[in-house]
Amino acid sequence: MTRFRLIAAALALALLPFTTPLLAQNGPLRIDITEGVIEPLPFAVPDFISENAPGGEYAQRISRVVAADLAGTGLFREVPQEAFISQITAFTPSVDYASWKAVNAQALITGAVSATADGQLVVKFRVFDVFSDTQLGEGLQFQGTTNSWRRMAHKVADAVYSRITGEGGYFDSRVVFVSETGPKNDRRKRLAIMDYDGANIQYLTNSSSIVLAPRFSPAGERILYTSYETGFPQIYQLDVGSVSRVALPVPADSMTFAPRYAPDGQTVVFSASQGGNTDIYRLRPGGAPERLTNTPSIETGPSYAPDGSQIVFESDRSGTPQLYIMGANGGEPTRISFGAGRYGTPVWSPRGDLIAFTKQNAGRFHIGVMRTDGSEERLLTASFLDEGPTWAPNGRVLMFMRETQGAEGQSALYSVDISGRNLKKVPIDGAASDPAWSPLLK
Amino acid sequence: MKTGTSISGLGHITLIGLAVFGGVFTHRPVPPPEVANVTMISEQEFAALTRPVEGVPPTIVPPETVVEAPEVAPATEPETTPAPEPTAVPDPEPVPIPTPDPEPEAQPAPAPEPVQEPVTVPTPTPTPEVLPAPAPAPVPAPSVAEPQPSAPVSTPRPARRVASEIAPPPPPDAAPAPEPVAGAAPTPEPTPAPVETEPEAEPAAPEEATTEIVTEAETPSETAPAAPVVTAPVTSARPAPRPARPAQTAQPAVPAPEPPAPATPPRTAGSTSTASSDSVDAALREALESAARQPDAAPVVAAPSGPPLTAGEKEALRVSVQKCWNVGALSSEAMATTVVVAMAMNRDGTPDAATLRMISSSGGSDAAARQAYEAARRAIIRCGAAGFPLPAEKYGQWQNVEMSFDPSGMRLR
Repeated sequence: MTRFRLIAAALALALLPFTTPLLAQNGPLRIDITEGVIEPLPFAVPDFISENAPGGEYAQRISRVVAADLAGTGLFREVPQEAFISQITAFTPSVDYASWKAVNAQALITGAVSATADGQLVVKFRVFDVFSDTQLGEGLQFQGTTNSWRRMAHKVADAVYSRITGEGGYFDSRVVFVSETGPKNDRRKRLAIMDYDGANIQYLTNSSSIVLAPRFSPAGERILYTSYETGFPQIYQLDVGSVSRVALPVPADSMTFAPRYAPDGQTVVFSASQGGNTDIYRLRPGGAPERLTNTPSIETGPSYAPDGSQIVFESDRSGTPQLYIMGANGGEPTRISFGAGRYGTPVWSPRGDLIAFTKQNAGRFHIGVMRTDGSEERLLTASFLDEGPTWAPNGRVLMFMRETQGAEGQSALYSVDISGRNLKKVPIDGAASDPAWSPLLK
Repeated sequence: MKTGTSISGLGHITLIGLAVFGGVFTHRPVPPPEVANVTMISEQEFAALTRPVEGVPPTIVPPETVVEAPEVAPATEPETTPAPEPTAVPDPEPVPIPTPDPEPEAQPAPAPEPVQEPVTVPTPTPTPEVLPAPAPAPVPAPSVAEPQPSAPVSTPRPARRVASEIAPPPPPDAAPAPEPVAGAAPTPEPTPAPVETEPEAEPAAPEEATTEIVTEAETPSETAPAAPVVTAPVTSARPAPRPARPAQTAQPAVPAPEPPAPATPPRTAGSTSTASSDSVDAALREALESAARQPDAAPVVAAPSGPPLTAGEKEALRVSVQKCWNVGALSSEAMATTVVVAMAMNRDGTPDAATLRMISSSGGSDAAARQAYEAARRAIIRCGAAGFPLPAEKYGQWQNVEMSFDPSGMRLR
């Protein structure tokens, strides 16, 4: 008996290794997902609720601007209001998720507007992740004046965009550009400024002389531009608020153009042409222009990196215009563009990761982006004439000038996502060129 | 006496049991993945997924194989990524880069081995003096075995190189020495030959050894006995891809799991009337019992939670999730962030939303990971609302799921 028991015990011992794995539950099923879809995310914006009578005038308009901002990015698609099967009647932290799931609205934006008799406006909003039955972030409210209701709508849209995508918005920003009127052989140009979406156009200069290439300061309160009012190109600085301008203290006997601010908002780099040779100069506050390049070739179009440590510019020292990068104090530049064709108008992304440029190759113009070392060049557009890209404040969208062919050809402003998607015309009456995007407004 | 015999009997049984079952136990993790492979091998794409799992069988030591598996996985990923790129018209540029890389890396692997060999040369030197005597007689085999354990890795390699060089040196030393050498050179006897020759060859050998090493790398077959230890890591890397096609080569392991599966249902039906038509529990119990009787049936033990999902079934789940995974609204940073999401599943194939959670992320900030997780969560909830296409009888295999969402292959196409 004892032997039998011992044998049984030994047998049990020997089988132990088998039983332990049985007790251990199998690990979770692991799936690797590397392929998704890229399509606009459907969102719903029911008309904002007006919390008092004066607010009713703006509630519906603000919600429409918010919807237009989001849909205009190409990243979102609005679920038409006719499809709604429930209405928002109160600005509450919870909604009937099921009825919004039913219309496949993945994001829901609700809001409320109130206004006072003296022109004060308060906009509140919430964002919901419908399929997760949760609110994205907390409710927010903005306060302003009724005159700035569009800016407040843009701010709401920026906040929604940021909560869903995880990066900053660009709706509450402005664009300065050259407004053109008249036929090609008698084109009249004026500096104009508008909201990013083409609304609220204001003119900053009269059309008595040709103006070119306006550039915003990093804070957006000043503009550099080139004017021909003295007969040849000279750089001026214009204060946006007072619309007053001053000429930069640069040599009066040289043609100066292509100015751009350094990230500090004080230093300016520009091109100056003397005796047929064009080089890049830097002008620091209170100082005299310093020469950063010194070659017999043409150097122009300087643009600072966002950290101010480097400058990208175009030069034809190799025979054709190509892009180069040099230190902020000059020095030996490094060529970064090596593709076929000519490269020009480089602009460093506000995020610092990309450089946008104009490329001319095989009779066509392209707007493209490349990494700061010249790798991963991508052409985003192609047309008879595309030129002069400028970055949106969040570094995700480019605006540029496109001109159509022929004597009736007109220039217009277009925007495109850096993925190459969502190419669209900025709705402006009349011709426009040389856009420059401002930073996000404060 | 009784006590003595029972103790010894107990001890022997335990030892035998451990010897038989212990070895099997280590193999346990292997069988389930293999079963999946066998059915799926026909589909090449799925093979890529199974590679990391298959990496286990070749190497005996589980921990090492686990480490290697991840290495293999990245290689497969670049291959899969090219597939999506063709769809994107605009940017063909990034495509060419990923595919070529993985191939060159795998091949160069063997080359580094030779480098290790020269290093080992010095070790054999001490042993030479003692060995001359054993060398001549074939009997020494057991005695040789003892020296090997001290430096098993180093000794085998010198043998090959020396063998060629050795021929000249032996004659001068002593008459007895040459005899063993002659015998050693033609014959495969590895251990005796190296020992004798090494003492003389030492000074001159190092330079020549390097040249010989190259040839050794080319003809690894002869070194079979000693080589396994050194080459193990390298060879293991290759097997990973190959097993996919010739999985049949692993026939011994493969057939075992399959037969038991079909065998169990008939048993339940015939032998035990209590077992109802399709009760999973009964099948599991049956499997356990059979496993207890037959140690060889170890793979069947994995069956408790049902047979593993086939590649086709996994693919169906993958496709059903990714068609809802919309990365269009993700920031570029979130597009570079991989998140792993875990969840529990209900029996109807719907995810239990309350258990959805992000268990890890890599490649981006917390904010980017949160955006990426929210997109993944939306995908799972939206497409899982009607239940994922999962085989109900294998619920045990998918009641817990971890999904890794890696959008890097979709960036800016």
